[in-house]
Amino acid sequence: MLEGRLHPITIATREIAEIFGQMGFGIAYGPELEDEWYNFTALNVPADHPARDMQDTFWTDETPRRVLRTHTTSVTIRELEKMAKAGETEKRMISVGKVFRNEATDMTHEAQFYQYDGFAVGPPGAVTLAHLKGTWERFYREYLGPDTRIRFRPSYFPFTEPSIEVDLWFEAPGKEGRWLEMFGAGMLHPNVLRNAGLDPEKVQGFAFGPGLERVVMIKYGIPDIRLFHSGDTRFVWGFEEKNI
Amino acid sequence: MKVSRTWLQRYFDTPLPATEAIAEALTFHVAEVEEAEGDLLDVKVLPDRAGYMLCHRGIAKELSAILNIPLKDDPLNTPFPMWDIGSPTLLQVEIEEPKKCLRYRGALVKGVNVGPSPEWLREALEAVGQRSINNIVDATNYVMLNIGQPLHAFDAAKLMKNPSADRGKYTIKVRNAREGEKITTLSGDEYALPESVLLITDANADSAIGIAGVKGGKAAELTEATTDIIVEAANFDGTAIRRAAQALKLVTDASLRFQNRPSPELAGYGMRDVISLIREVAGGEVAGVVDTYPARSGSEQERKVSVSLEKINGVLGSDFSKEEVIDVFNRLGLPYSESNETFEVTPPFERTDLVIPEDLVEEVGRILGYDRLPATELPCRDVVRPDMVDQAKWRGIEKVKDFLVERGFVEISTQSFAAKGDITLANPLDKAKPALRTSLDENMKEALERAKYVAPLVLAPGEKPKLFEIGTVFPKEGERLEIKTSEPVPGLPAIEDDASYEPKRYQLGAFKPFSLYPFITRDIAFWASADVDDGFTKSIVQENAGELLVRLDQFDRFEKEGKVSLAYRLVFQSMERTLTDDEVNGIMAQITTALTAKGYEVR
Repeated sequence: MLEGRLHPITIATREIAEIFGQMGFGIAYGPELEDEWYNFTALNVPADHPARDMQDTFWTDETPRRVLRTHTTSVTIRELEKMAKAGETEKRMISVGKVFRNEATDMTHEAQFYQYDGFAVGPPGAVTLAHLKGTWERFYREYLGPDTRIRFRPSYFPFTEPSIEVDLWFEAPGKEGRWLEMFGAGMLHPNVLRNAGLDPEKVQGFAFGPGLERVVMIKYGIPDIRLFHSGDTRFVWGFEEKNI
Repeated sequence: MKVSRTWLQRYFDTPLPATEAIAEALTFHVAEVEEAEGDLLDVKVLPDRAGYMLCHRGIAKELSAILNIPLKDDPLNTPFPMWDIGSPTLLQVEIEEPKKCLRYRGALVKGVNVGPSPEWLREALEAVGQRSINNIVDATNYVMLNIGQPLHAFDAAKLMKNPSADRGKYTIKVRNAREGEKITTLSGDEYALPESVLLITDANADSAIGIAGVKGGKAAELTEATTDIIVEAANFDGTAIRRAAQALKLVTDASLRFQNRPSPELAGYGMRDVISLIREVAGGEVAGVVDTYPARSGSEQERKVSVSLEKINGVLGSDFSKEEVIDVFNRLGLPYSESNETFEVTPPFERTDLVIPEDLVEEVGRILGYDRLPATELPCRDVVRPDMVDQAKWRGIEKVKDFLVERGFVEISTQSFAAKGDITLANPLDKAKPALRTSLDENMKEALERAKYVAPLVLAPGEKPKLFEIGTVFPKEGERLEIKTSEPVPGLPAIEDDASYEPKRYQLGAFKPFSLYPFITRDIAFWASADVDDGFTKSIVQENAGELLVRLDQFDRFEKEGKVSLAYRLVFQSMERTLTDDEVNGIMAQITTALTAKGYEVR
């Protein structure tokens, strides 16, 4: 029988799971419809904080209202909470899943897209910002090719301190290389660790929140993010596929 | 925040580098510059630093630290030349909501001449995209853009005087709006005020003259006839102002600054600078200054943050020396004491963002530069060994996907919003789809319809599209993962955790964009001799079909009476336009001619 096809998001996730798996990362899941606590408050984004403007949010009309998660960082805090309950001090997880932003869509913006958020924590000094750099250099080399490199820029997210943006140097086939803005990351804020029930004196580590479609678009030269979740089979068939 | 290089240069004796170099310095050491052209830089100041950096002084201070060039003169670090505080009987301030109005400094300035601004002031404002209004308003805007303190000036003559001498001649009262209260702002727009909105009012007339921290009111607007003004340099609670701006849908330069909680100390500097500038550009004499400061606690001065060198290097993964850290604190102007490689920093009042040790770690990391961090791979440790990682749930899902792909199904992904559902959104993007899907059925039906229509483009003749989706649905019982297939699948397994399943791996080539224009299909069948080469025949069809042919499938072959019948399906489509039947008929005629010439007998 003729084989069907997997969606490019699935194919990408398999590669990502393999690369991060080799670096000790498990895969975690959490709800797409979240409590305000896990999406914002526990992540050090209190109500009425200007940081809430950084993401346009879909709210339900329930009481209490819930939120369509704006990032899979909500899974990170849930995993940290599990660690605290189990008395663990070391863990590495990624979470691949759909997130939602209430913003106008265009070729590079969708109201729903995927993130592959993740974190690594350990005893103080064991997981540092330099490890974040090492982890991502390795990931991009394995996923996009040996000529990639990354750089950090200072940034701000309420759930990390210090916070950084990660830029990627990528040379598309037949094109000149250039720096691309990829995602935000940083060292987990002590308040986030405390909100999860962990002691920031005993556990520290990094977290990152990249968008999945973006890296897939770069890898395969996909021009429009809206193709991904259109339900259109022409998109899924739009690639030569090789079984490996 | 729009910043002018010329304006920044006023802070330095040393000539600043070119705009692009300033942009790069800021981007890699403090805040992204989104645009840099000519004299203008657009700096994306994020909320943590917005308390001190939404002004030229804040950005100049950062440049001074990053480029290691001294500030000529720091307005926040120069002694206060106190003007004569006039008789408090001239102006009085009452604060009814001390939790929302943290400080109110007011000054009565008499004998000003309202008129156009001098050229330098007009140019400075226009260089950063502001409109010049008059010398007084421009002075308040200039000082705000220079040191970050929002300011306002009211026409004193439009306030009522209290005849009783012990009550002050003018009385400003800061209070919440009352039920049904309205205000017309300087722009002429009328706002109905929710009761939580804080107002600046003329207490003697009991009327609103401004929305606190957001916008001034029309009632006390300056005109060319104005001679006496009341200048406001206040500090309002960030949450109160943010809520008011959101409720009124009125976000202003002032509300943006207050919502990020600048220090109330700044109001003193703002008043000093604006009075000095007003006197320079509009004349006048300070008749009285009042300072009502409910938030004054002394704790501002007491704030200290400690961090050790070990902690700095332990968070960054760096190998910075004590001397390098000291250099960073000196360049940033952060007073510190050090013992046993532990630093105790006393942040200046405007650095409200420096609260925990990690904040200081960030200062060191960004000023010395994140490019100096090594790329260190995570160590392999027992509890996170690759063979120990927990991917069981994910592997279980992938197993079901592989099962379906083996049976010819194509995976799709669709939107989570629906016309109807158990959970609806308060703020849907698409009003026609305000709910969350309770099943994947609707999307599957739609996708299958389209898949059938486009099948000739992606499938061989006779194959029918089979689709599946695994996605989250949101019925009232709670969200769950649903497997939906376009037709029943015998033996379809349920999703179960499977720690050992190895998902199949595929390599994809570059994406080939597809056309959004309609396509046209044509079949052609013909007789060939018994020894026909199918591949060669196909290439004849291909070559004569031209560039508009997007798919060619052989769908039939049989032998009869020493001859072979071959049949092909051709699909035509353009990336640029809709094809016509005539055009495709022409191509088919061309193919027929070519085949006939080679001895094939087209049926």
